Amino acid sequence: MSAMSPAAIKTSPAQLGRWGVWILLAVLLLGLLSAWLGQDPAIQNLDQNLATPSTTHWLGTDHLGRDLLARLGEAVRVSFWLALGSALLAVGLGTVLGLCAAWQRGLTERLLCLCADGVAAIPGLLWVLLVAALAPGQKWALYSGLVLTAWVEFFRLVRSRASMTLAGDAVQAGRLLGFGAPYLLRWHVLPPLWPDLLRLWSYAVANAVLAVAALGFVGVGLRPPTAELGLMMTEALPYYDEAPWLLAGPVLLLVLVVAALQSATRPHERERAHERTPVAGPGPAYPPPAQCTSPTGSHPAGGLQFCPERR
Amino acid sequence: MVGESGAGKSLLAQAIMGTLPAALRASGAISIGGVATNGERALTQALWGRRLMMLPQEPWSALNPLMRMHSQVAEAAHFVRGLDWPTARQQASAQLHALSLGHATQQWLHQISGGMAQRVGVACAAVAQASLLIADEPTKGLDPQACEQVAQLLMAAQTQGQALLTITHDLDLAAQLGGQIVVMRQGQIVEQGPVQQILQQPQHAYTQALIAAQPKHWANYPFAAAGEAEPVVQARGLSKRYGERRLFDGLDLALQAGEVVAISGPSGCGKTTLGNVLLGVVQADAGQVQHRADLPRWKFQKLYQDPPAAFSAFRTVGQALADVRQLHGLPDAQQTQWMQALGLDEGLLARRPHEVSGGELQRFALLRLMLLQPAFLFADEPTSRLDPITQRHTMQVLCDCAAQSGCAVLLVSHDADLARSSSHRHLSMTDLGDREVHMVH
Amino acid sequence: MSMGWTLATRQGVRLLGQSALVAGAVGVLSFVMTRALPGDAAYRIAAGRYGYDRVDTAAADAVRSELGLDQPAWQQLLHWLGDLLQLRLGDSMVSGDPVIDEITHQLGHTLQLSLAAWLLAITLGLLLGSWVALRGGHWSARWIQPMCTLLRASPAFVLGVVLMLGLGVHLDWLPVAGHGEAINLVLPALALALTLLPGMTQVVSQRLRQVLASDAFEFALTKGLHLPAALWRHALAPLALGTLAYAGMQLVLLVEGVVVVESLVAWPGIGHALVHAVLARDVPMIQGTALAMGLLFVLLNGLMDAAVQWLDPRLREPAGRSAA
Repeated sequence: MSAMSPAAIKTSPAQLGRWGVWILLAVLLLGLLSAWLGQDPAIQNLDQNLATPSTTHWLGTDHLGRDLLARLGEAVRVSFWLALGSALLAVGLGTVLGLCAAWQRGLTERLLCLCADGVAAIPGLLWVLLVAALAPGQKWALYSGLVLTAWVEFFRLVRSRASMTLAGDAVQAGRLLGFGAPYLLRWHVLPPLWPDLLRLWSYAVANAVLAVAALGFVGVGLRPPTAELGLMMTEALPYYDEAPWLLAGPVLLLVLVVAALQSATRPHERERAHERTPVAGPGPAYPPPAQCTSPTGSHPAGGLQFCPERR
Repeated sequence: MVGESGAGKSLLAQAIMGTLPAALRASGAISIGGVATNGERALTQALWGRRLMMLPQEPWSALNPLMRMHSQVAEAAHFVRGLDWPTARQQASAQLHALSLGHATQQWLHQISGGMAQRVGVACAAVAQASLLIADEPTKGLDPQACEQVAQLLMAAQTQGQALLTITHDLDLAAQLGGQIVVMRQGQIVEQGPVQQILQQPQHAYTQALIAAQPKHWANYPFAAAGEAEPVVQARGLSKRYGERRLFDGLDLALQAGEVVAISGPSGCGKTTLGNVLLGVVQADAGQVQHRADLPRWKFQKLYQDPPAAFSAFRTVGQALADVRQLHGLPDAQQTQWMQALGLDEGLLARRPHEVSGGELQRFALLRLMLLQPAFLFADEPTSRLDPITQRHTMQVLCDCAAQSGCAVLLVSHDADLARSSSHRHLSMTDLGDREVHMVH
Repeated sequence: MSMGWTLATRQGVRLLGQSALVAGAVGVLSFVMTRALPGDAAYRIAAGRYGYDRVDTAAADAVRSELGLDQPAWQQLLHWLGDLLQLRLGDSMVSGDPVIDEITHQLGHTLQLSLAAWLLAITLGLLLGSWVALRGGHWSARWIQPMCTLLRASPAFVLGVVLMLGLGVHLDWLPVAGHGEAINLVLPALALALTLLPGMTQVVSQRLRQVLASDAFEFALTKGLHLPAALWRHALAPLALGTLAYAGMQLVLLVEGVVVVESLVAWPGIGHALVHAVLARDVPMIQGTALAMGLLFVLLNGLMDAAVQWLDPRLREPAGRSAA
């Protein structure tokens, strides 16, 4: 429109999203296949430790002689199991509570908001750290910590959107016509939420993978001999000189997976949810000239076919 | 320039300003003050402020919320005419005072009303002293009083020697402003000439239709006399206030079956609230509302101002109607009958609400309500978002439905002529100090 | 100014409320942690006092009755929370020094690192974000977007490791770990700043684009302002305000990053202390450091909120619509 308008970025968001989905599928395939067809990640072979990539060990071995490819496969399974499961639980919990708060209003809403604010008052990783400290190395502790920090986002999104929809004309009209809660929820409240829930869920999965890796890295998360990306990184650091691929493997895989998950989201959507102030909004989209939709625009003045248009 | 939406008036104005969207191609020639611009932004932008200026359609979003009103007007003087800041500020104050905005000079955008924001926009234009002022739909969504004020504003700008190009669908505004009128329809100019001459002796059929579609030219609808049975809705001693403002106090109103009562008044006076209270979706602070005992809840319905707002965007029109039929166990044949009566095509049923034009969607909304054979219908400004010709048609349809089905209708509108011509009784809500709502006619 | 005072009191109340929530959560979790530790607490504490060899049942019983360890759980919890409120955080089980002393010492280091990282991120973010918004298609701006995608997907510890190995080991430009000289700050601050950078750049560029496309900016140009004047007067303020509003989100990333980066380079700050305490199951230290981090987070968030409220006239002054 003007010399000032920024040129379109080469890759559109839709393209990035698709690329991300392919990467994720490939990684998941790696995880599944290595469980069935690959070598056992736990078998140690000290004669073969720190071996370079070869035909028997496609990515080489680590310092205990374990096949790196198999370990990466197991790490993928572990991370995804934790991340997908906890994110799904968080979505369910946050959505249900958000709908409750929006529907009931009053005391229920205030209590739930208080809970959400309480959880949000401490950064996520800190929560997971503290909860994991209750039972170090236990998966349920990690699960609980991850769900605890993730549900707040969904709750806030669902509550604010659902409140707006429930206060709107469409729901009022539905109620006047006699429709009950199930119909209104199904056709008025939930449909606009699905895309944003999907995006936030993808972001939550990415966050969970990162959190588990971070805790693994500092030694508070899952314990050896479990293969976990962060843990593998810590174990590989001392052998960086001799076997750099040991470090490169988990690093690249982690970055790739997280980038793929994040490309399925629109990051600035999340940032917008955290804003406090409205600023000068975007200009109006210049509407294209409205098309005449009806074949007949009957008119009392008789005979003349004009198209009744929306103003 | 007058015409309905889709006629191309705004596009023409944008071409003159040089702000056409990049996706559109323009050909032809435009010259402003002898400078050939041909709709190119780069060429026209140099003339902004000095030679031409466009009043924003939505003044609220066009002013900077983080800068005081005073500065926003003064900067026009400083940057366009090259005055130094003290002089610029002085001129800005003078201009704001002249537009009776003296008390708002130091205020922020969120502290002033929409009408005042519009005047600030005009002040900017006046201070910059552009030779051509373009006003795009300056009275959109405004009630008659505000329209009057805007007309005064624009005429005042004219007296300072500026040329004025106004784009509107409001023929009264055009008549007030005087000068030349250009009637557009679907990208073509169908008629042009001096305003008074065109409006009194229109030559083209479309112009005639436009003029006939103005509510003040409507004939009163021939309603049958309302019944004398127990009223469908009865309200006694209603009071309601929003914050500090008292909307109405001690109000009594009763509607009989088959009676159409119209209420008109300026925006914000409480008409919609009154209707909602009568419907039962909003509680009054005092007083009581009685619905006739034998009628179930769903016999009391509402027709909304913005047609798509009443439908779910995720269901097609046909599905929405089917849902209602299924819920109340109604036969299909009724729907087909009503669709014929309202002039709606079967093919539209497969469309989503945003794919259907405003007038048709409003008729679908009416159809959905008529299926239930309502006893009371609250029509909340049902045609204010529609074009004049569509508006005429829809109001006719609404009156037909009311007459045939015998349901009581509470019609709310800011247009007194429309209210008068489409009702048994026309009430005004301007003065609310008394116990009785004023009767007009 | 009455509006200002009610605003301040409301913010103050919210701050207190959130602090109470944080303290409560940390306190309860720490209490549960002590109960979850294996063995009898009385024996453990008696061993700590008199030495492992000289503990017998009598000593443990004495400790138990003295510290009230035989009371029901909820009573002990109340005692624990009471101590917490009075900031009686006890001594570290590992070093034996009072927790309060250790924390106050470490807090300064963490603040130093965080501030350096944050300033770096803001400066770079503003520059890169504005550049992308203004010259998006230019060759010099094309690399920014992919770089941000890559950085956003790389957690703090990965960036830290890469920087350590790259700049520290291979190129030998920076010391890999350690504390005391200014040069030691560079590596961890850079690692942290790089985690904050993609979000900052994205927000700045998106906000600037929004502002440039807004009606208000267009009207400023229509009024006759030339581009630099319009940018200065009408684009800068909304941009700054929007960026500040995002800073709260940044805080979360910062706090999470601090924990990991400090552990990586052994920076003697609160994050490092927390991780070590968790590894050693040193509950008083866990409680102390978690409390310190949580309260710091709440305080900084509150400051951001307050800054936004004060700088934005829409939030600062009442919206009373004057009569047309």
